[in-house]
Amino acid sequence: MEKRNNNVKTFISFDKVSKSFGATNALINCSVDFELGKIHSLVGENGAGKSTLGKLILGIYKLDSGAISIDGIPASFSSPTEAVKLGLVGISQELSLLPDRTVIDNIAMGRETTYGPFVSSNKTKEQVLKVMDKYDLHVDPEKIVGMLSVADQQKVEILRALNTNARLIVFDEPTARLAGHQVEQLHSLVRSLAKSGKAVIYISHYLEEILAISDTITLLRNGQKVRTESASNETRDSLIEGMTGRDVGSLFPEISKIDPNKDVLLKVNKLCRNNEFQDISFEIKKGEILGIAGLVGSGRSELALTIYGDRLPDSGSIEFCGNKVGLKGISDSVKLGMAIVPESRRDQGLMLERSLLENTSLPYLKRFASWLYGINKSQERKEVIDSCVETMVKHSGIEKEVQFLSGGNQQKVLFARAAMGKPKLLIADEPTRGVDIGSKQVIYELISQLSKVGEAVLLISSEVEEIIGIAHRTLVMSKGKVVAELSGSELKKSTIMEAAFKQ
Amino acid sequence: MNKALEFSKKHGIAIITIVIFILLALTTEGFFTERNLRNILDQQSTILIAASFMTIVIISGNFDISVSAIFVVSPLFTLFVENATGNLFLGVLAGISIGLCMGAFNAIVVTYFKVNSFIATLATSFMFFGLGYLISDRSLMRPAGEAYQQIARTKIFDITSAAWLSLIVVIIASILLTRTRFGRNVFATGGNQEAARLAGINVARVQATTFILLGGAAALAGIVSSSRSISAQPSDDFSFVFAVLTAVIVGGTSIAGGKGAIWRTVAAAFFLAFMSNGFNLNQVDPLWQRIILGLVIVIAVAIDSWSQRRNV
Repeated sequence: MEKRNNNVKTFISFDKVSKSFGATNALINCSVDFELGKIHSLVGENGAGKSTLGKLILGIYKLDSGAISIDGIPASFSSPTEAVKLGLVGISQELSLLPDRTVIDNIAMGRETTYGPFVSSNKTKEQVLKVMDKYDLHVDPEKIVGMLSVADQQKVEILRALNTNARLIVFDEPTARLAGHQVEQLHSLVRSLAKSGKAVIYISHYLEEILAISDTITLLRNGQKVRTESASNETRDSLIEGMTGRDVGSLFPEISKIDPNKDVLLKVNKLCRNNEFQDISFEIKKGEILGIAGLVGSGRSELALTIYGDRLPDSGSIEFCGNKVGLKGISDSVKLGMAIVPESRRDQGLMLERSLLENTSLPYLKRFASWLYGINKSQERKEVIDSCVETMVKHSGIEKEVQFLSGGNQQKVLFARAAMGKPKLLIADEPTRGVDIGSKQVIYELISQLSKVGEAVLLISSEVEEIIGIAHRTLVMSKGKVVAELSGSELKKSTIMEAAFKQ
Repeated sequence: MNKALEFSKKHGIAIITIVIFILLALTTEGFFTERNLRNILDQQSTILIAASFMTIVIISGNFDISVSAIFVVSPLFTLFVENATGNLFLGVLAGISIGLCMGAFNAIVVTYFKVNSFIATLATSFMFFGLGYLISDRSLMRPAGEAYQQIARTKIFDITSAAWLSLIVVIIASILLTRTRFGRNVFATGGNQEAARLAGINVARVQATTFILLGGAAALAGIVSSSRSISAQPSDDFSFVFAVLTAVIVGGTSIAGGKGAIWRTVAAAFFLAFMSNGFNLNQVDPLWQRIILGLVIVIAVAIDSWSQRRNV
């Protein structure tokens, strides 16, 4: 079957496809063709319709109108199982593996070789090894999947797709959880898949990645196709312009210089936590934006949570406004004037099924509560609304559940929450992950505003551009240690990356 | 149209309860009489007392099976102290206190040793049931004085004190849940424990408090129930907790935590009570009553999960 080498064959084609959820139109009259042997990227802001299109292909959503044809023959399928039978498979953001089973079990899931009612372990293993050899993609077959790194787990998922004889593979934000060098490996793998004749659909927020890897790029905006263009005709700026419909200019706001005579706000001295980070010392002045760069797993988030009082350090001290912190836990840190925007807004940030009001005021309820009368709701509402205006949260009523907000707005809710506390120090861990460009701009603006009024920000980010764009000074972490401190003209992508990968 | 749909989705259980009330009032003789309605109110009082605080435990993301055991043990301890001292007040104080203590024990197992609350309270149930046999020396206990039966049976404005007590408990629980910081923290903890923790909430303390309060409420329910029958008996009977859980779940409080309300539980308790009262008045075979009751619960929960899916 793989002998089919005419590389420009249209595999699956969408004709005027529409899909809506309630009142929101996720896709409107969209026509796109996907070809075998090509990497075709979908680009757009959050809510532009790229994931919806991906999920239509995988049979997760049913289309409202329009037609799909495969190999020129009209096709209809309405469940992931039927889609898999047609050779359409997805690699999702959140991996869908059985963490307690072995690599073989996961790859062969649903396609084990059997004798009558019994599974033949040997034959199944043989089959899996054959697939690994064929694509030169190896993972220890007997390992338990939950013990593997994220990158290896992703390989397992890709192998599972290949084992089903997939002809089209959808990658939805596959690099969101990978470190830099793993991204490179994934990209070369994706390229080799395309070379072997598979159609690849690649969905990502990272424009550099898209430009580096794609053959074809389709731009979506508000559920409509803007254009499909060969990747060589696009640039970063042309993509941003197409996504937002306007010329963005610079993403980053003006950052005011800090006065070197300002008081020290936070002083971290020789902080250690076993297996997480060692010997960390630094200071932040009032109004300073301190970036922390480094790979995922370099101890950045653990350091942030320790400073925030979530866990105790093994040794070393944290001094905040002259007080020792960490001994009495998070509520004490909040009282002293710290706020956090945690790494994962879904897992650590928001109560998705609760209202915007409840989510925003949660840490500061004491302000509105009295023993006798309970919570003073009108005062609470007023302050929450003010805070949402200040942080530009777009919403249709503060009583609505936050799960109905877009990703960017959910992230802004976390900033609104922090703003309610008028913190002296904001710890922002990956504040723009999975957020559209419009919201990113707002978030950068908010951070620069904080700095202007003298509040300090500890900005942790995997996006080097972001750190270069708004941090006054940057620490680079690698394997639990600070390996470089950069500021001014030393703040360059090359110097940061070099330090981050230093052993 | 859309608004009507939204309204009915939100208040579904209340609407159904009112509809079944009107239907029974129109069709069934003996339903819409003062005596019958007063009876229903009186009968539901013990379930309402325990279910309102069970709602809070479930919203915070936990489960408590040991309510049955506390319901059995507390009146035994009350009578034990009452028999020994001759003081009813001391007896009730002791009964409620032992309920709070058993709730605290659950709280320690769940929040400190991090045992899944369902399993933890199933295990503590056996301990508590055993304690009941120990206190009562395996026999039926009776109050020494006449006053004991007045706890549940005193009539105020023609309504039993049991019903008044349940009304007070429901109001207290509702205020706690909707008006106070504690209530907000309960919703936050059940909605996303990790996020609540990072917002500075002492999650363990919130959950522990919910267990202790439920322990006290279950004890009160047990005392009211035994005051009604003027006796208390040790047993291994789990049926009370299932009646309580049925009311909470049919009311639409999410077992996953983070969502729910006490008025929902109250409405569901009356819905279930009206239904079984209607069955009895119409002389439906108890065998069919069970089958229909089970079916109604399945339908109620299915509708709830369906409407939530449609939301997204």
